[in-house]
Order: sequence, then structure tokens, then C-alpha cells
Amino acid sequence: MSALLPPALGGAVYDRGYRPYEGARGGRAAGRWALWRLTVRRALGLRRSWRQKVLPWSLLGLVSIPAAVDLGVRYATRNTPVGEIGFEFLTFRDYVGVSTMLLLFVAVSAPDVICPDRHDRVLPLIFARPLTGDDYVLAKVGGIFSLVFGFSFLPQVLLYLGQMLVAEDGSLSYVGDHLDILWQVPLACAVLALFYASIAVAVASLTDRRIVGGLAFLGTMFIPSIIAGGIVAASEPDGTVLGVLNLLGLPLIVRDIVFEGRVDIDQDAGLAGVAGAGVAAVAFYLLLVGASLALLHRRYDEGRQ
Amino acid sequence: MTLAPPAVVPPPLGAPSPSLLRTEALTLTYPGGTTALHDLAMDVPRGSVGLVGANGAGKTTLFRLMLGQLHPTAGRLEVVGRPVADDPVGIRSRLGYMPEHDCLPNDQTAADLVATFGELAGLPAEAARQRASDMLDLVGLDEARFRPVGGFSTGMRQRTKLAQALVADPELVLLDEPTAGLDPMGREEMLDLVGRLATFGVSVLFATHLLDDVQQVCDHVVMIDAGRLVVAGPIDDLVARTGILRVEVGGRPDAVEAFTVALAAAGLRSTPVDAHVVDIDTAEHGDEVFDTVRDLVVAEGLRLYALSSRHHSLDELFVQEAQR
Repeated sequence: MSALLPPALGGAVYDRGYRPYEGARGGRAAGRWALWRLTVRRALGLRRSWRQKVLPWSLLGLVSIPAAVDLGVRYATRNTPVGEIGFEFLTFRDYVGVSTMLLLFVAVSAPDVICPDRHDRVLPLIFARPLTGDDYVLAKVGGIFSLVFGFSFLPQVLLYLGQMLVAEDGSLSYVGDHLDILWQVPLACAVLALFYASIAVAVASLTDRRIVGGLAFLGTMFIPSIIAGGIVAASEPDGTVLGVLNLLGLPLIVRDIVFEGRVDIDQDAGLAGVAGAGVAAVAFYLLLVGASLALLHRRYDEGRQ
Repeated sequence: MTLAPPAVVPPPLGAPSPSLLRTEALTLTYPGGTTALHDLAMDVPRGSVGLVGANGAGKTTLFRLMLGQLHPTAGRLEVVGRPVADDPVGIRSRLGYMPEHDCLPNDQTAADLVATFGELAGLPAEAARQRASDMLDLVGLDEARFRPVGGFSTGMRQRTKLAQALVADPELVLLDEPTAGLDPMGREEMLDLVGRLATFGVSVLFATHLLDDVQQVCDHVVMIDAGRLVVAGPIDDLVARTGILRVEVGGRPDAVEAFTVALAAAGLRSTPVDAHVVDIDTAEHGDEVFDTVRDLVVAEGLRLYALSSRHHSLDELFVQEAQR
């Protein structure tokens, strides 16, 4: 260090110069992990002003309310016979995709984590790091997936623990009787999260304006669903395989396959009794997710930026 | 003067090399048929290197090839001793890049932004924050580090771009027009910063079309025009190999015409400047050219009013070589 000003003048300015970095370097995997953390942080409004935090945390808080209410009622009525309670408790299957808050959260957060990079022309800087376009896509979709998965799965954990604690036959007995929940719930949550995350990020990648990206995602989800609703109504009572075009309902149809091994348990998608509906639903689900990821791969080829 | 590009006889690519940048018949043709770089061959040593060319000459394209973002149509490219084709993504961990255009997210603080790019380069989070602090200090933004970049002036944004390029301690930093948009004071400060980088052990490849900037901070220069190599080498050597002798003669109404003919007969190339002044290209000639000029003036019965010699500037060198 060298003092540029003598201390006699009342202070000293030090030119610390340049110090080489000799510590650990994580390489590409560390870069990908950092980009994922950046995505999650941004979606939740962390290290941003309080205004950026209000919407995501409000929406995510609302997602947990049904589980909290369910748990509270269960605890308050733990000594009352089930038939006398007069309250319809949530099932684990019901809770997957039960709230439109997750859809709104994705519509807000997916454009927020991807549009500014294109709008502010940050992509050339990102791709000057040891990261590929696929790393970028993986981190962005992975970030949104993680949040949607986490906030659809955590209330389920709350629900599970609550039911376990108030079970008449004891907690251990409850766990033994509900082992299948331990794989069905995470899988169904992952199905929902992957669907929302891949489509929302893909749609948002087509614009550099956040509001346009959010509205485009909601339009992508609602418009085919409205059309599918009309087709299904016209096909009653036989139903039609075109019911899978209901994008809002598609992840719930796949969820039903996860939980019950059959489709349209609530009989509102026009698929009940339709031959091959389950295969069609899974195939259409995979097609949409695959097409979204392929679009993102093409949009974020680092050589094109 | 025959100042051709230096003969490139580099060791085979892939062999250990102290070079900063080595290319061999490097060509890039876009799918539309436009050739951005044509048969580029050069061997540039480490240090502070200027990459000079007009807008559209291929400077940014060369940067993108070095970063492994584009792949050459033909030829080979080696950066900091490593063939880019072998690991086009990994090579980026050794490079820093400062683009010409504005590329900073406005809603992040300078400290967050620079630290983020450190993490993206593979640094652990804590180390990245420390390095960000150091680099912002180095570029003179220590007091503004917690302010959002959106409120920064052009000069501060350029410094932030430089800080993010340096945060991962690269072997080589690619600077694309770092003085663009800066006022004279800001330009001088940026050039001072760039000039100091080589003393820190960080090599610099400094793309610009401002030759004065290169002459101020670089010790080597690579000149390209329309994707072709014009000339490359140490600036001092290139300039030393040029020379102009300005001669003012009189004594006859056709003094300049007669003198020019006599010079040509003696094998000297000259350019009349006005009715009395002639510039003689003295490259590849020794001090004997002064004797020749004296003898020709006497032989033609002219009067010698003035004689002065100087070297070409880089601007003149570029124009001269580009027109060959």
C-alpha cells in the first residue's frame, strides 16, 4: 500500500491497487448455481425494495391459507366425530393446483426474472462468463420451478403434519397408512411446477417487457382453456379427448393420474370414460413442456445474443 | 515503403506459448454469406494491445470468437495459450469482457451487480463480494457502490462495466470501445485505468477506432480493415519503420516538378505538398537519403529552404496500409 497524501494533511488516501484472486473457482457448475440463486432472489424480491417484495410474498402467503385453516379446524374439532363437524377437509390431491395464487405468482415472477436481461442487454455479459444458453435456461426455469414446487409442497407438509398429529389412531399409524402420499405429493407438485415454469419462462422470453410477458402467459393459459371448455360442453355427455387442450386443467389431469391412476376424477374436463385420454394428457403435457424448453434453447443460444 | 504485415511463423497451435492471441487463417462467414473476418493470421504477445479498425471492421466479431460465442468457418484461434475450439465455454473463465453498448441492469446497486458477475464466473459468494468491493474501489466507485446503477452517469457506468470485467481476476480483459461516450476528462481517467491494468499482470485487448487512445496506453497494435489484417506489431517498431522527410525547395518556377522527377530517378517516392514543399517517403532508407537529397538539389540548380524529418502517426500508418 502506498499513501498518496501525507497524514499531516489530516488524512490519508490509500491506493490499494489490484490484488490477484488466488482462491477457489467453481467453474461452470458454480456459475449455473449462482444464476439459479439470483433468479430465486429476484423472484422473491430479496435485496430489492419493499415494493418488490409485497406481491410475491402476498401471493405465496395466500397459497398457505387453506392449509392453515384446514389444520386449525382439525385441531379445534379433534375430539368431535368426523360426521358431525360439517366441514369438508382438503385432500392432498385437492391441494395440488387448488390455488390460482401460484398461477398469478408465476405470471408476475417469470417475466421479472427473464425480461430485464434482454431489455437491459445484460445477456452478452452473462454469456461472457463460463455459462451456455442451456445453463441460463436451466437456471431460470429451475428457479421458478423451485419456488412453485416449494410453495405448493410446503403447505402439503403442513397439512400432512397436522393430520398426523390429530389422527385418532396415533401419528405412527397415520404415517403407515399414508406412505403413498410421500411420493405422490412431491411428484404431483413437480408436475405442476414444471408445467407453469417452462411455459411461463418460454412465453416471457418472447418479449423484453414484463407486463407483456405476464399477460401473454395468462392469455396462453386461459384462452385455450376457454376454447376447450366450449368443445367439452358441445361433446357432452360422451366427452372428448380435446379436453386436454384445457391448459389450466392439464396439470391437474396429470395429477389425477399420479394420485389415482385415472383421469378426470372430478368429471369436469370431459375426459371421463374417453379411451386413451390418460395417454393423450401425458403426451400433450410432455409436448408442451418440451416445446417450451426447445423454444428457450433456441432463444438463448449464446451465439445469437 | 513496403510495410507488410510481419511474417507470421508461429509455433504450431496447441504448443505452449506465451501469446495472448494467435490465429491461423481465421475466417468467419455468416450464414447470409457476409465474411466478417478473412484469413486472419497473427501472433500477439501478452501485454496491452490495441485492436484498431473502423466501425464494422470485425473487432467485436473477433471478441465473440475469442469468447467462444461464435465459431470460425475456417482456421484456428488460440487465446492465452489455449485453443478456443477445445473448450469454448471454459476459456471464458480466463477472460473479462467489457462490451461497447450499455448493458447494466438499472435496478441493482453497483456492489450487487459486480458481485453477481463474480459469482457467475465461478467465485464463491463471499469472495465475489470482497472482489466487487476491491474492483469498485480500483475504478473509483467506492463511495457509490451501494447506489443503483440506474442513477449513474455515463462515466460511472463505464467504470462499473470495467469493474465487472475485472472482478474474476481474468488473464485477459477484452475492452470494446471503453472510452465511447465519455467527456475528455472521463476519457483520460478511463485511459489511465486501462493503462494501469498491464502493470497488474492483466493483459488488455483494447478495441477502438481512436488511434490516439491506443498510442497512449498500448504497446502493441493490431489493425484490421473489412475483416482483413492490415498490420500488427509493437507500436514503437511500426512507427520507427516509417519516415517522412519534408523538403522545401525554390530557385526555379518548376522547382517541385523537377525535384520530384529527380527523386523518382534516384529511387525515392515523393508527394508534392504545394508549389515549394515535397514529402519524401524515407522508410527503408538510411541516413544516406539526406545526402541524396542534398546532391539532387545541387544537381537540379535548386535552393534548399528547409528540411525536416518525422515518423508517421498511427493514423497515417493505418490509412497508408489499408489503402495498399
